[in-house]
Amino acid sequence: MLILFTDTDTDLTPKAAKEFGYHLISMPYSIDGKTTYPYEDFEEFDAHSFYDMLRNGVLPNTSAISSESYKKYFEPHFKNGDDILYVHFSAAMTATFEAMDKAVAELKQKYPERKFYSIDTKGITIGSLNIVEEIGDMYKSGKTVEEIMSWAKEEIDHFAVYFFADDLKFFKHSGRVSGLAGTMGTLLGIRPIICMNSEGKMVSVGKEKGRAKALTRLIKYVEELGSEIEKHRIIVAHTDAPELAGEAISMLKEKFGTDLRIELVDVNPTAGSHCGPSTVGISFHAIHR
Amino acid sequence: MNTRMMDGVLFANMIRGGAATLSANKQIVNDLNVFPIPDGDTGDNMSMTIDSGVAALHTNRNDSLAETASSAAKGMLLGARGNSGVILSRIFAGISRGLEGVDKADVTVIGKAFESGVNEAYSAVSTPVEGTILTVYKDAVNYAGSKISPESTLESYFDSFIKELKRSLERTPLLLDVLKKAGVVDSGGAGFIYIAEGMKMALNGKEFSALTSEQSSSRKIDLSAFDENSILEFGYCTEFLLRLQTSKTDVENFDTEAFKEYLNSVGDSVVCFKDGTIVKVHVHTKKPGDILNYCQQYGEFLTTKIENMTLQHNETHSQAHFEPQVKKPRKPYGIVSVASGKGIKDVFTSLGCDVVVDGGQCMNPSAEDLISAFRKVNAEKIFVYPNNSNIILTAQQAALLYKEAQIYIIPSKTIGEGYASISMLDTQGKTAEEVIEEQKEVISGVITGIVSRSVRDTRQCGIQIHKDEYIGFVGDDILNCSQDKNTALLTLAEKLDAVNYDIILVVCGEGVSVEESEEVYDKLTKANKRTEVIMIDGQQPVYDYILILE
Repeated sequence: MLILFTDTDTDLTPKAAKEFGYHLISMPYSIDGKTTYPYEDFEEFDAHSFYDMLRNGVLPNTSAISSESYKKYFEPHFKNGDDILYVHFSAAMTATFEAMDKAVAELKQKYPERKFYSIDTKGITIGSLNIVEEIGDMYKSGKTVEEIMSWAKEEIDHFAVYFFADDLKFFKHSGRVSGLAGTMGTLLGIRPIICMNSEGKMVSVGKEKGRAKALTRLIKYVEELGSEIEKHRIIVAHTDAPELAGEAISMLKEKFGTDLRIELVDVNPTAGSHCGPSTVGISFHAIHR
Repeated sequence: MNTRMMDGVLFANMIRGGAATLSANKQIVNDLNVFPIPDGDTGDNMSMTIDSGVAALHTNRNDSLAETASSAAKGMLLGARGNSGVILSRIFAGISRGLEGVDKADVTVIGKAFESGVNEAYSAVSTPVEGTILTVYKDAVNYAGSKISPESTLESYFDSFIKELKRSLERTPLLLDVLKKAGVVDSGGAGFIYIAEGMKMALNGKEFSALTSEQSSSRKIDLSAFDENSILEFGYCTEFLLRLQTSKTDVENFDTEAFKEYLNSVGDSVVCFKDGTIVKVHVHTKKPGDILNYCQQYGEFLTTKIENMTLQHNETHSQAHFEPQVKKPRKPYGIVSVASGKGIKDVFTSLGCDVVVDGGQCMNPSAEDLISAFRKVNAEKIFVYPNNSNIILTAQQAALLYKEAQIYIIPSKTIGEGYASISMLDTQGKTAEEVIEEQKEVISGVITGIVSRSVRDTRQCGIQIHKDEYIGFVGDDILNCSQDKNTALLTLAEKLDAVNYDIILVVCGEGVSVEESEEVYDKLTKANKRTEVIMIDGQQPVYDYILILE
């Protein structure tokens, strides 16, 4: 049978993973040399205390996992005679998938009949989560891996995610956003608007002054780019900014009606280490990213 | 005296006279400021502008009238500071244009040249405001011109000129409401009268020397321009004031002519005259020590200044020579802004400004300061943020004089407007014109309130203000006044409906303590729950707080 994998960078929690039938690969972050594997080293993610720690000056690092780790995740299933579909966060943002390729190549020698499929969501956090959940739906309803793969080929580019940065320090530290021009060195109320492009990279697409204007701009993207949003999930994520996220949800409801499928999630700590506290993002189905 | 002809030497002395007289009275002009805080003072601005003209004269002492006028005008155009300084420089630029090719001029030619000054000055501003230096100068030129007759002398022309300057100045409050309300006359016009009076004194025979020029000493000198292998090519510019001593010489009957003869035998470019018991000397010589020793026979020195002219020459020469070597590829866009206060300058730098020219409320930069910033930026298009209403005209003048890049002036009148617009600047995929439109749009959405201490008692906008009280104002409107700066700020925030804005940015001046800024932060945050409150340690002078609402 087909075994579904995703990683914690896609914001899927163990509880949700269980519902969809996903296995979770834990993507680590480290603070002061101490590495933490989400949902392995803790059960529940305490977003408030984690992001508060970042507010108080902690600047975490993130790291790739080794090919040995991948083997440990995948091998038992190959051994069992199962195939694997790994729906992962953006390959353009990490070196971790080289380790994965190595692990898969080695395992293939050992288990030549087994199949390994992967889908690059070209996103991270909710940009990936929306796709992860749709694929979970398809998996649950019995779609074949071919059907899922061909759906993904068409649809990945139709899941847009827009968010704003509150403190550029984290983005600068991680070095994963392009286009954050020198004109933004100090934030001083400036909120760069960032999206995931179709290459799976974070790019800055502009800026707004103040959180209120930044939120309005996010909603504007949903309005301008959204396509069949009522047929898909709209996911709002935040890094310990529940009021703002709540405000975003009310704005969405006000604009697009109350029967939207809106999900509210905490950004996982590893991805959150790149964007820092007090940010809000929205993922939705779009004409294009 | 009945002077019929003006030549370069006379005109140079007149400009020096104008500069000296204004300099001596600049505080009076400063005090005419409508606003009771010391920002961008007209007297200082005009004085420094005309001083730049005087400094430019220095090197051309035997020129024709046209050359003298042209040197003075060029110096003033570059040295222009503040709106009144720019207008002053344009008056002299117009006069210079009217004297083109003229070796010596009679009163008719001078009258015409002064008229040309009117046109040039009016063309400097997009919307000329009557009741300012523009009107005062124009009225006087028209009046003095109408009085020219075959019997007219330069003295009679200047008498009429000054008479009407004064009358027109008295009329300025009738033309300009802000003056009337503040109970003052126009400061630029008043400054110009001192210049005219100084010029008249020179015309009457008083010698003005540029000897004690302050501006040269403040200049930074690159000492490496004269090294251990350099050859002394030009000698030393030597200037001093010698107080004749009764113990050494017959002070009353001191023979200046014989003294000059000696100076000419050991140097050149000699200027020497006696004023009371003081002899002023300017001479270029390779052996200043010999001259000092000689002169000490007759008295003691009050001041001395000796400058190595070879070094100065090498310095300017090497700078010109040096530039092409550091030519890096030009950036498509560059940003120049004007600010004072270390904290604010850092903010602008971090927002992406290539050069932050020092200046603003206490000292307006000159056109030349801005031009050297343009040069440093090395970009094809440069956006300039003056951040002060009194610097916009200077920036326009600098843009006119600078040809190596396209200069676009974003008319930011306050630090708040500058911050708001630069922080939203986005040049990607846009033409400069589109960028400017966007920036103007941003500017229209920001309010800058200022808290500053009043330097005098005054009554304005219906508010009685005592010296040393803190006033809160926006543009020219004083909104409140308190004995305490924090109260002034908080009241100002309330009056400006800070609650309704997304962002409150408070830039603390150099006199604000940590406790004071914490109190401001706490109170503003409590009073404005939805609004983000951001505190910046601007360390700017004069303005205790700059309150930016967006």
